[in-house]
Amino acid sequence: MRKDKLKIGIYELTGCAGDALLILDCEDELINIFHAADIQSFLMAKSDNIDGELDVALVEGSVSTEKDLKELLDIRKRSKVLVAMGICATLGGPQAAFLDPKEWEHNLKQVYGQTEMTHTKPLHSKPLDAYVKVDYCLPGCPIDREQFLSTLTRLLAGHPPELHRFPVCVECKWRENDCLLNRGLCCLGPLTAAGCRAVCPSHNLPCVGCWGPAEEANRSAEYQLLLEKGFDREMILRKMASFSGTRFAEFAARFRGEKK
Amino acid sequence: MKTISINHLARVEGAGGVTATIDGQVVTEVKFLINEGPRLFERLTIGMTPEEDLNLVPRICAICTLSHRYAALRGLEKALKVKVPAKVTLLRELMHLGEMIESHSLHIYLLALPDYLGYPNAIAMASKYGFEAKVGLEMKQFGNHIMKTMSGRFVHGENPSLGGFGRLPTREELVFIKNRAVQFLPFALKTVQLMCELPYPDIPESDTLYVCCHPAEGRFGFMGDEIILSNGDLIDAQEYKKVANEFIVAHSYCKRSHYKGKPYSVGALARVNNLGERLGGEAGRAFKKYFNDRWKKNPLFNNAAQALEVLYSFERIPQVIDEGLQLPDPEPVARGRESGKGVGAVEAPRGLLFHAYDISAGRITQTDIVTPTAQNAEDIERYCFIAAQTLLKKGEEDKIRDRMDLVIRAFDPCISCSAHMVQVNQAPDGDWKNRLRQLASEGEPAFVGLGREDRSDDAAGLELARLLRERGAKDVRLAPEMEEGSGPADSGRPLVFIDAVDFGDKPGKICLLPLRHVLWNATLSHRLAGLTGLPFDADRLLDAHLLGIQPASIAEGRRISAEVRSALDGICEFLSS
Repeated sequence: MRKDKLKIGIYELTGCAGDALLILDCEDELINIFHAADIQSFLMAKSDNIDGELDVALVEGSVSTEKDLKELLDIRKRSKVLVAMGICATLGGPQAAFLDPKEWEHNLKQVYGQTEMTHTKPLHSKPLDAYVKVDYCLPGCPIDREQFLSTLTRLLAGHPPELHRFPVCVECKWRENDCLLNRGLCCLGPLTAAGCRAVCPSHNLPCVGCWGPAEEANRSAEYQLLLEKGFDREMILRKMASFSGTRFAEFAARFRGEKK
Repeated sequence: MKTISINHLARVEGAGGVTATIDGQVVTEVKFLINEGPRLFERLTIGMTPEEDLNLVPRICAICTLSHRYAALRGLEKALKVKVPAKVTLLRELMHLGEMIESHSLHIYLLALPDYLGYPNAIAMASKYGFEAKVGLEMKQFGNHIMKTMSGRFVHGENPSLGGFGRLPTREELVFIKNRAVQFLPFALKTVQLMCELPYPDIPESDTLYVCCHPAEGRFGFMGDEIILSNGDLIDAQEYKKVANEFIVAHSYCKRSHYKGKPYSVGALARVNNLGERLGGEAGRAFKKYFNDRWKKNPLFNNAAQALEVLYSFERIPQVIDEGLQLPDPEPVARGRESGKGVGAVEAPRGLLFHAYDISAGRITQTDIVTPTAQNAEDIERYCFIAAQTLLKKGEEDKIRDRMDLVIRAFDPCISCSAHMVQVNQAPDGDWKNRLRQLASEGEPAFVGLGREDRSDDAAGLELARLLRERGAKDVRLAPEMEEGSGPADSGRPLVFIDAVDFGDKPGKICLLPLRHVLWNATLSHRLAGLTGLPFDADRLLDAHLLGIQPASIAEGRRISAEVRSALDGICEFLSS
């Protein structure tokens, strides 16, 4: 049994490391994870890390530098299954919200001036699947611990993970919350992938969309609805874009086009 | 030349590492690198409503997520004249104490303590120090519990909002936290005893300036409207730029800060140094017992200071909750205005954090965020340098790597400095051949010979260029022949300069290195003054390489030494094969 343990690596590219931290926060289960799988690399938790062949690589963060890219290509080459964790890895993260490369470059200059960065070249932030094949995506900012544990368990048992395919609204109804849209708040629940157990609406706060877009979200309908409720058009688009990364590009282009 | 590098500090608000370069008896360079890519959060907030900003900015860092949210709240509320009810202030303090406990206990027990007890990591330490590892983990879990109760999630909880909370914690939740905090007190006391009685090494020791928030009413605490410096200066937080004057260094996307041209330190040690006299209760007694002058100049005492703060936090929680429970639940608060400026200053576990906002008609027009690690970066490099240079002078070169590791971890730049991925890099003999081969795989290199004909071995670059030409190499130039606009046409090919370079090694030693390394290094760069007149733009130069040959002499004369001559022959032979 022991020698058949799956070899697993956990890696961080550019992001806040919240997903790796969340794995670390599974204190009680962590020992079991370390027993059930052979954790080859997890910089945040251990020191004797090995960069070898892997059965499963879990990668968080976006590709935002050449160094990130090099590391990702290397991880892909060594791994049978690659799982993107969190919205930076799955969608490019908040840092991908500048959709136009020119706009991104302008803002990079605003922050870092003319200084030539010598250590590693910056790249316009992109999700992992812009460069390599990604087998499974765990959405969330950060990921949810139950979803992480169930995904890992299924992978360990040789099954594909089962992820939620509905929006936050469904979870919100399960919890019998009052609908915040009806209360006149700018809630993105109908557009956003479920898995957080509708944590914000359950705290009387509108969903900000931090799990990224739900699979079959009807953006146009929500956009019209929010416009009718009197919200500012730019704010609606910006809120939709904030955590949707590159996935928002097509929709945004259509609306920007209409504006002109 | 030798390089000691700590490659994967892993998380320093992203990935980071430290490199020290040792050349004979001199530490020529220490670099604290943060490999995190640019995320441009400050720019992303422009045009946003304050609420959107609150959704976004805590995502800067998962470890200090609530400190970021707290600083943003304070900055935005100041700008919008939001009057925060007393109960909300107390509950925010509670959430902040939770983050302090979580971060400090993780750092003390699981990251720093294994160093001092001589174990490679916490798991190895747990076999003999199971009790300590267990206490650390339980304390961390309790900190997490407070954070989740107050913010809604372990990481990036959205509950604390402008003027209040989306949902207030229930009485039962608060009483549970209070009772648990009281139960932890004996363990907090033990933590202080353990961390304050460790035999901290006396290298590195050097005076610095300590900077932290100045809480009101003569109290100890983790936020304030003023900043206090260890030289006695008090600065209004709204004028934070007097302290945190950010500038950029080319080797990191993390900005740096100086106060009046000098590096300074922030964090637990800064707070205890500046405000320790204000500690009461058991924490006050412990401060009087353990504090001494070494705390003022030795960054390793940050670990002791963190332990004092853990004790303070556990003593403070019951007070905060008792006070809070006596106050009525606050009503939602309205904004006093839609335009204005405001700076929020709080203490993140690892030090002073600023969020500064300009708001016009309800939209953010300017954001400036200064993180603790950005402020500590200069002192981290400086103390690493002092440690490396002092140990080298004492003939204890073998200790340099571990000591630098200890210094960096003491600063607690972020949690996964748990990774002890320290490497001492020493290149194998004739490594230039491997590197040149690798370079040639990107395209056939173009060579440019540099040097001075009348300075003995300094003519090596020019001589080699001539030799290569004689052997039929095509793209070879001599700097003196080149004019503006005559650079190699194909800019996609690797560009290699050839020159005599004083590495401080034996004559004839050959090194191939990125030109940017030489341009960074003041002791080598003056030798390359000849580059400035050449027709290459900055990008091309930064991507170029230098094939350097150690000269025996660069005295006036036209004789190339036997050692250098033989090196040139070796290069010619390698290139023609």
